[in-house]
Amino acid sequence: MSDKMTLQVLANHARAAAENMAHTLHRTAHSAFVKETQDFTVLLMDRIGDTFAVPMDLGATWYPGLSHGPAIEMVDDYRPGDVAFTNDPYSGHVATHTPDTHLWRPIFDGDDIVAFAGGHIHNTDMGGAVPASLSRSLTEIHQEGIRFPPMKLVNEGVFDPQILRIMETNVRKPALNIGDIKALAGALSTGERKVQAMISRFGKTGFLQGVSALMDQSEAQARDILRAIPDGEYVFADYADEDSDEANPCRLKLTLRITGDSAVLDFTGSDPQLASSLNVPSGGNPRHTILLVGVYYVLYTLNPRMLLNTGMTRPFTCIAPEGTVLNPVEPAAVGMRSLTCARLRSVIFGAFSQAIPDRMPAAPAGNNCIVNVMTRDERTQKTVIAAVNPVVGGGGGMPHRDGSNGSGADAAYLKNTPIEITETEVPVEFVKYGLAQDSGGAGYWRGGLATEMAFRVFSPDTRITARNRDRSFFRPWGTLGGHAAGLSDMMINPGTPQARPLGNVDTAILEPGDVLEIRSAGGGGRGDPLQRPAERVARDVLGGYVSVDAARHEYGVVITDGVVDEDATTALRASMTPHTQHFHFGPERDGYEAQWTDTAYDLLTQILADLPIHWRFFTKTEIFRRMKGRKGPEGVTAAFAEVCERFPALPHAAPRKEAAE
Amino acid sequence: MDGASQPKPDWKIGVDIGGTFMDFCALETVSGRVASLKVLTTPDDPGAELLDGLCLLAEREGLDPAYVTRFVHGTTVGINTIIQRKGAKLALITNAGFEDVIELARLRMPDMYSLFCHRPDPLIARDMVFGVPVRMRADGSEALAPDTASVAAAARQAQAAGAEGVIVALLHSWRDTSQEASVKAMIEAATPGMFVFTSSEVWPVIREYERTSTAILNGYVHPRVAGYLTALESRLDAQGVPAKAMLTRSNGGLMSAGQGRRDCVSMLLSGTASGVIGASWLARQAGEARVLTLDIGGTSADFALIVDGEVQYGTDEQVGEFPLHIPSVSVSSIGIGGGSIATLGALGVLRVGPESAGSNPGPACYGRGGTDATVTDALAVCGWLGHSEMAYGQLRMNVDLARQAVGVLADQLGRSIEETAQAIIDIAVSEMFVEVEKLCSRAGVDLRDFALMPFGGGGPMLGAFLAQELGMSRVIAPRRPGVVSALGGLVSDLRGDFIRTVYAPLEDATLPQLEQDFAALADEGRAWLDTQGFDGTADLRLSADMRYAGQSFEIEVALSPDWLNAVDQIAAAFHETHKRIYDFEDPDGKIELVNLRLSALGGAPKPTFPVSQATQEQATADRHVPVWINGWCDVPIYDRAQLGGGAVFDGPAIVAQEDTTFAVPPGASAHVDAHLNIHLSLVEQSNV
Repeated sequence: MSDKMTLQVLANHARAAAENMAHTLHRTAHSAFVKETQDFTVLLMDRIGDTFAVPMDLGATWYPGLSHGPAIEMVDDYRPGDVAFTNDPYSGHVATHTPDTHLWRPIFDGDDIVAFAGGHIHNTDMGGAVPASLSRSLTEIHQEGIRFPPMKLVNEGVFDPQILRIMETNVRKPALNIGDIKALAGALSTGERKVQAMISRFGKTGFLQGVSALMDQSEAQARDILRAIPDGEYVFADYADEDSDEANPCRLKLTLRITGDSAVLDFTGSDPQLASSLNVPSGGNPRHTILLVGVYYVLYTLNPRMLLNTGMTRPFTCIAPEGTVLNPVEPAAVGMRSLTCARLRSVIFGAFSQAIPDRMPAAPAGNNCIVNVMTRDERTQKTVIAAVNPVVGGGGGMPHRDGSNGSGADAAYLKNTPIEITETEVPVEFVKYGLAQDSGGAGYWRGGLATEMAFRVFSPDTRITARNRDRSFFRPWGTLGGHAAGLSDMMINPGTPQARPLGNVDTAILEPGDVLEIRSAGGGGRGDPLQRPAERVARDVLGGYVSVDAARHEYGVVITDGVVDEDATTALRASMTPHTQHFHFGPERDGYEAQWTDTAYDLLTQILADLPIHWRFFTKTEIFRRMKGRKGPEGVTAAFAEVCERFPALPHAAPRKEAAE
Repeated sequence: MDGASQPKPDWKIGVDIGGTFMDFCALETVSGRVASLKVLTTPDDPGAELLDGLCLLAEREGLDPAYVTRFVHGTTVGINTIIQRKGAKLALITNAGFEDVIELARLRMPDMYSLFCHRPDPLIARDMVFGVPVRMRADGSEALAPDTASVAAAARQAQAAGAEGVIVALLHSWRDTSQEASVKAMIEAATPGMFVFTSSEVWPVIREYERTSTAILNGYVHPRVAGYLTALESRLDAQGVPAKAMLTRSNGGLMSAGQGRRDCVSMLLSGTASGVIGASWLARQAGEARVLTLDIGGTSADFALIVDGEVQYGTDEQVGEFPLHIPSVSVSSIGIGGGSIATLGALGVLRVGPESAGSNPGPACYGRGGTDATVTDALAVCGWLGHSEMAYGQLRMNVDLARQAVGVLADQLGRSIEETAQAIIDIAVSEMFVEVEKLCSRAGVDLRDFALMPFGGGGPMLGAFLAQELGMSRVIAPRRPGVVSALGGLVSDLRGDFIRTVYAPLEDATLPQLEQDFAALADEGRAWLDTQGFDGTADLRLSADMRYAGQSFEIEVALSPDWLNAVDQIAAAFHETHKRIYDFEDPDGKIELVNLRLSALGGAPKPTFPVSQATQEQATADRHVPVWINGWCDVPIYDRAQLGGGAVFDGPAIVAQEDTTFAVPPGASAHVDAHLNIHLSLVEQSNV
């Protein structure tokens, strides 16, 4: 039954199997990471490990195009009832940081493997230097916990007790890990049973042909989309605020080349591999799922009927040179790759925004900050560690509506915790949880507002971590005349004499009575704000989304006593100059790029690419230190010359020829 | 009527309103006569169709309104108000600093792969949300008392902006309702004429978004629902109906119409809930304890599980775009129905839905101008439909129009019209398959020992095909599938739900509080039944929402009041329930008790329906018609009205009745039981 006409029947059975696995895992898992945050995936794979079905309701959005092939090949002699696993980002490049533990189970029909059921869970902790195994400051994979290269975890239905003991010995919350791993193994058995039911429903040949037709269909859908996009080269770069504790920006650059129904994503010109855990371990696989997540969002947004499986990755080829932030070599740390991945997605959105301006939104806030608090409960005299809330910003202005407020776009899967629950369980008191006025980029379609959260603590030495904080310097950009959004911020005791801004740091130590306020970035605006109907601006002012001041300065709308002053508005709008470039980045990036022009940064990455990998980040930092008062490629050349002089051991090759400005 | 020698008639009437029809199920208990009928709804004058129905019952069945002793009504006026967003203009008064709780909701959005995903606009716009300086701490102590001036100023500002009513929702009112109550009093004093609901009086549960949004739904529909109920009661009065109107609720129980005026939120999902209640009652009669119900309409299909005779409850059902957090009969829904449209996608892959032709213009074969090929058209092309009148003679099918519509797709595909139609049916069934599989994996049940009970206008058309796809071997088709919801109202009990949030570890020190809470809940429950006019013995059911410490969600565990002095027994019940639902337990884990719940049930005497003699007998077909089953075959049509208890026949077959058509696939064997349900046994299909 590989009949195209009724392929949807097989597609529905495959999806039902995947949903079934997801619900089984969600129902039987132990940890909040899986149950509440839903940081897990389940998938069905073909015989070589390419994904052909994923759930659409539950779990994370990153892996529908994942291939487990390289890891599957590293294990021999599969038997019915076996389950293999790995969490090592450097063995097969399937796992992407150590907490993510991937499992897969061969599904047999007679003596033949006809499919694999697989998935991942994010373990609360895998051991290593810090609780939860994740910190931006870590520099080596070995600090990020115990690693298991691909190996069998279950032999013909029996868990290997030695592996479990090794894991229990090395991690901080063994019961949670083992509970979740067993729940995932249970979900894989469900997947096997459902695939076997599909084989009896469709026949072995019908099943195998159908699976391959599902991937062909997804590929065809993706190619249809690409074909409708004008051929061309679309270049875009964006920055993470800090590359490490050294605190220089990290640039990601993409050259998107669309030719007919295929596309190349060339990331040459992105930062070198970093001495922090912000590296993204793609292994240089040209279709690695982690490089393509932004593409999935684009495809699905353009065709909501997009079938999500490995087939959709076929028209795409990624180039991520070795030793760069998007293809680090061992032992680079990778734990906080999710921060870089958020920026990677916005780089992809920016490139597509140039290719199909009519159909893409402006930048989402792009800082999916997860706030944790460790404090002492004075009532019970116990230490409490708890996730407080994600602080996520709004979506970018869309082609036909304002960006969603508070969260959205590529961060829509995150869930908050009710304030009443947090206050009951954790000794903190919220002062504020809501939307931040004027934080959405102005536009014909306004960007979504930022989230603002403030809470008070009561115990000395209360520690806060705010993982994935970013966008405190480089704003989410606007498009088509729309403005960039408000920046993220973190501050202790705002509005008091003890106020202490924290910049982009992601940790803080608080004293009793201190209030910590965290604000996300907003979403970028889309289209000319001077064209936004004054009535809609007035409604935004009435609702408090936009202040009277911003209505005047950003939108040219004069509001007096809550009413639009038509004449004054017409006059003011006529006197204002709309922003005419495709992107609007805001003064911070414009200022930064006056020094670090595109050519200058290109030259920097070329210089670094010619160095041995372990010299690159060091040299980047040293060049940055010497850029004061310098700018452009000449500045980089001069700074590099100084670095060479200071460090004669630097194994630089022939001096770089000047790049044309 | 001169009743001196004859016993007086005793009519019990259940009435449920759907999209197109108002359904009546009437039982005269003295003679055992059962009547069901449908009348077209009158959207311009909701409630007027009631008179049409009563007149028809009088005409056809000799109903005298003076002898109606029970009148149970399920209305959609509330849910329609929400879907059409035509409710009251409301203001929300809440804590300053937390005005955006309703807009942020729980952050996570549906359709999370799309960059265009977004949450629905709240029912209260942001300019009608007023933060006032007031704060209660998590332990119930008051950090900041409300001050009359700022509350009154907010209320006046709301009224000036056109608010009809105010919702008061303050943090931690689950712990102590007094702060909300005093704010409510301040508003009532400052702005008489605006109605006020507090979140804790609507449903005092922990979690501010859930509690606030439930209270908003209540206020949003309140004026319309109250107006409707007043009109309903006066219509019944005018007709001389002595029975007090009862209303069906989302919890599958009943309440008085008077209660419904304020407790509006509890009736929002009553239609689907009483369908499941009706189905569970029919299933019990038919001797089935484990049932999957299937109700298919024009645009959607609803599913529910009945496990060991019990309907299943949830607290996160959906009302239009909004979650509803009061206990409701759990029903899953998918946007695939008889009107779902088939289209062609990339590589010539056929899809069905989510677009629907709805009831206007409806499927092409209805001849109302629809030209898209729908599921109903596919069934007509294949010959399963179109041989008899539909919807009590109010619809006639034009198979030629169905063939034209499906023919367009067939041409593009280069296939025959019949093959294309069969593919549309298969795909529609497989879409439902996905939803049922999700439901079952969430609930942790294996459908192989369940029976499928299709009802509604479309359920019987596709039910047996879906059962085959799910690997189920049994289908039960009730005699009157069109009025199952109306029947559900007729067989329901009064039911009030009450909750106390405890939020304490399960340990000896907590027990006195539990006993105290239980006593208060029991008083509340008995008093509630009293106000509904119930004078029998209350049936009080106690349960608790519990979890292991560290979990962020609770499960409901049935408790006996006797256990409230024994931690061990409560813990044992929790471990066991956790194991049943989640496949694991943690005997050493610390347990938290979040909510104590009580349901107060007031049982009405159950009506008995006539039972027919069942002697096995081969059924006689009316005639034979051509049906496409991988080729044209001659298939017998049976008239449902002629199928008595004990009748047997084999598939393929069609059973026609005035309100639906039951498709019986090849390989099925059918028998009719004493209650006139048709039972199918299906053989397992493979490689279809």
